[in-house]
Amino acid sequence: MDLFDQIAAVFADFANPKKRVFFGYLALSVLIALTWLVCIRKTPLRAALARVFDRKVLLSKSSLADCKIFVINRLFTFLISPLLLSQVAIATAIYFFLHGQDFLVPAHFSGLSQGMVVALFTAALFVADDFSKYLVHRWMHRFPLLWALHKVHHSATTLTPVTVYRVHPLEGVLYTLRGVAAQGTVIPVFYYLFGDAVSLYTVVGVNVLVFLFHVTGSNLRHSHISIRYWPWLEHILISPAQHQLHHSVAERHFDKNFGAALAVWDWLFNSLHLSETDQELTFGLDASERSSADSLKVLYLQPVADIGRLLRRRLRSGFGFIRRTFRRA
Amino acid sequence: MNSLKLTTCIVAAALTAGTAFAADTYGPFPVTVKGYGGEKANSVAYSGQVARHVLHDSLKKLAGKGNGGANAAELEAQMLSYFNGSDKDLPIIAPVSKDGFPIKQTTVNELSSGKNIAGKFYDGAMPAWPGDMTGKEVVLHMIAQAAKADGGFDAANGYDYAQLISKFTMGAMPFSQAVDNYLDEKLGAGTKPNGEAYKDGAYYTGKEHVWDEAFGYFGAAAHSLTLSAEDNYNVAKMKDLAAADANGDGVIDLKTEYVFGPAYYAAGADKSGKTAYMQTITQAFIDGRSLIASAAGENLTDAQRAELQGYAKTIADNWEMVLAEATFKYAGSVYKDISALTEAADDAARAKAYRKYVKHWGELKGFAMALQSGKNNLGKTAVHLNRLIGYGPVTLDGTFVSGLDADGNFEKNRKMSWNSYQLHMLRVQELLANSFGIEARANDQTAELAGLVDSLSGDGGAETD
Repeated sequence: MDLFDQIAAVFADFANPKKRVFFGYLALSVLIALTWLVCIRKTPLRAALARVFDRKVLLSKSSLADCKIFVINRLFTFLISPLLLSQVAIATAIYFFLHGQDFLVPAHFSGLSQGMVVALFTAALFVADDFSKYLVHRWMHRFPLLWALHKVHHSATTLTPVTVYRVHPLEGVLYTLRGVAAQGTVIPVFYYLFGDAVSLYTVVGVNVLVFLFHVTGSNLRHSHISIRYWPWLEHILISPAQHQLHHSVAERHFDKNFGAALAVWDWLFNSLHLSETDQELTFGLDASERSSADSLKVLYLQPVADIGRLLRRRLRSGFGFIRRTFRRA
Repeated sequence: MNSLKLTTCIVAAALTAGTAFAADTYGPFPVTVKGYGGEKANSVAYSGQVARHVLHDSLKKLAGKGNGGANAAELEAQMLSYFNGSDKDLPIIAPVSKDGFPIKQTTVNELSSGKNIAGKFYDGAMPAWPGDMTGKEVVLHMIAQAAKADGGFDAANGYDYAQLISKFTMGAMPFSQAVDNYLDEKLGAGTKPNGEAYKDGAYYTGKEHVWDEAFGYFGAAAHSLTLSAEDNYNVAKMKDLAAADANGDGVIDLKTEYVFGPAYYAAGADKSGKTAYMQTITQAFIDGRSLIASAAGENLTDAQRAELQGYAKTIADNWEMVLAEATFKYAGSVYKDISALTEAADDAARAKAYRKYVKHWGELKGFAMALQSGKNNLGKTAVHLNRLIGYGPVTLDGTFVSGLDADGNFEKNRKMSWNSYQLHMLRVQELLANSFGIEARANDQTAELAGLVDSLSGDGGAETD
C-alpha cells in the first residue's frame, strides 16, 4: 500500500455512506443549519455563513484535538476487527439456541409477505440498535469505571461533527461490542422466525432509517448550531439542541438525553430534558474531573490511570472487608 | 554463445521429456512390461472396477423393487446375486440405454466376469447402524430389509433402502478399496512391483494396474478432465451424449465413457464453482499414471514412489472431502424437508414431504457411513456425527429408531421434536465444516445468516454520542 492509499484509508469514513461523517451527510447538515438560521432565526445569510463556519469553533484547540484523535484512533482498529468476527458466532449460537425452544417453530412466520418481513426487520434492527445505544450510554455516565473512559468524549469544549470520533479506544471497543450484541441478537431471531425472506430496506447500502437519521442532520448534534424541535417531537426524536444540552457543564443538565436517534427511551426512563429557548451552553467538564480539552497525553492516559486507581480502591476495600470479617469471627 | 545454445537444448530436451507422457485423458498409456510379446499397445485396464460400479448401480435399482413382502425372498436372492456375484452373466439393470443415450454393454460379463461387491466391501466396525455389526453385515441387513419394504420405502422407521445401500456402498467399496488398499499398502516397494507384470502374462506392470484399479474405483470417464463439472454431472445423469461419447461412435462404452458415483459427486460439488475436486483428483490420477509409465517397466525408485504417494494423498484427501460435501448437502436438505413437513397444508402434502425427507435422510446417513468406511479413523467426529444423525430419522409420530431388539427388529423407544432434529442437522453441518474444511457447502443452513450479519458490519454501530 503506498502513502496515498494509506492516507485514503485513514479518511475512508468521509466517503462511506454507512458513516455519519460521509461528506454527503455533512453537506446536507450545512444546508440544514443555514436554512434554520436564515429562515427560522432570521439571520442574514452572510452572518449565518459566518456562524456555521465559525473559526473559533472549527479551529479551536478542542476541535483540533478531535481531528488528531480521529487519526490516532485509526491505529487502534486492530482492537475492533476481531470483535466483528464474533458477531457471526453470536448470531449462530443464538440461532442454534432458538432451535432448542420447542414452542417456536423455525420459519413459523414465513407466510408473511416479503415486504412486511423486510419492513419489520428494518425497524426492529434500528430500534434494538438505538435502545442498546441508550442503555450503554447511560451506563457510561453511571458507573465510575466507564465514566473514566467516556469523559474523554465530554472533555470537548467545542462540538463539531468530528467530535463523534473523540472517544477513548477502549470505549470504542465497548461500543463495537454493543453493536455486535444488538445485531447479533436481532438477526438470528428474525432469521429463525421469518426464514430467508429477511433482509433490509436500504438506501446507498444503509438501513433506510439510519439513512433518514443522517440526512436530517445527525451531524448537527455535535455542533454549535442549536436546532430545536417542537416539544412533542423532542419526546420522540432527540434534536441537535437536546444532545448539545447533554454536553453542557451546567449541573441541571447532568445525566440527561442519553438517546441516540430516539428520545422515547429518555422519556420512558426519566432522563429526558427538552431543549431550552436561547440556550447558551458551555460544553466540557467540571474542573474537578482534571481532564483536558486538547492534551492528547491526558486524554489517552488519564482514563487508564483513573481505572487503575478505582480498581485498587475496590481491591483495598474488599481486603478491608475480609480482614474485618475475620477479626470479628 | 555456445553455452547459451547448450542451455537452450537442455531446457528443450527436458521439456520434451517431461511432456512425453503428459496427458489430459486417462490412457492410453504404453505397454512397458519387460519381455511382453503380445499385441496390446495400451496398458490401461480397470474394467473389473467398472463392473463393480455397475453391480452397485443395479443393486440400488433392485432395492426399490420390493412390493411390501410378497416378493421378499425372491428379491433378496436377486439383490444378493449382484452383491455376492453370480456364475451366470447378470443383466445390467442400471445404467441402461435410454432415448438419446445408448449404452454399449447390456450384461455385467461384457465388462468383466466373476466380479462382486461382497469381496471388496468394508468389513470393519460400523457403529452408525444399530446392532453392533460390521460394515458388510450392515449392508446385508439393509438388503434383507429392502426386500421386505414397499418400493424400498419403510415409512414407519423412516428408511429409504435404495439410498442407504447405494450411498453407504459408495464409501464402503470404491472409496475404501482405493484409499485403504490400492493407494495405500499396494504402493509399497515390495508389493506389486513395477519391474514385473501384475501377474504372469499380463500386459501391465504391478504398479500400473494397482493405479488403474484405484482410478477405476473413482469412476471418472477417461476423458473427464476435458469436460466441465457440469458436463461430467450431465454424463452421469445420462443427459449429454456428446460430452460422454469421446470416440464419437454413437454409443457409450461404460468402460471409459461414463461417470460413476464417486466422480459424479465430485463433479456435483464442483458445479458450485467453489471447489475443483473432480479436476484435482483426475489430474492426480493422470499424473501418477504418467509417472509410472515414465519408469518404462523398471521398479520405481524411492523418489518416484514418494511422488506417487503424494498424488495418492491428494486423491484420498479430496475424495474424503467429496463424501463430506455430500453429507453436508443432505443434512441441509433434511433441515429444509422438516420445514416443509411441518408447514404441509394437508395429509397428501405431508405424505409427499415425508417421502422426500426420508429419501434425503437415507442419502445423508449413507454418506455419513461412507465417510466412516475409509482409511482414516474419524474418532470423535464419527461418534458425534452418528449421535447427531441417529440410527433413524425422527418419524411422523416423533419417535426414531433407537436400536435392534433380540430378534433383529427395529426398536423406537426415543422421541425428539422437529426443532431439535433440525438443530441436529445444523450441528452436523457445523461439525463437517470444521472437521473436513469443505468449501462447496451446498444447502448451507447458516450461510445466509452469516451473510446477513456480514452485510451489516461497519454500519457505524460503534459511533458514540
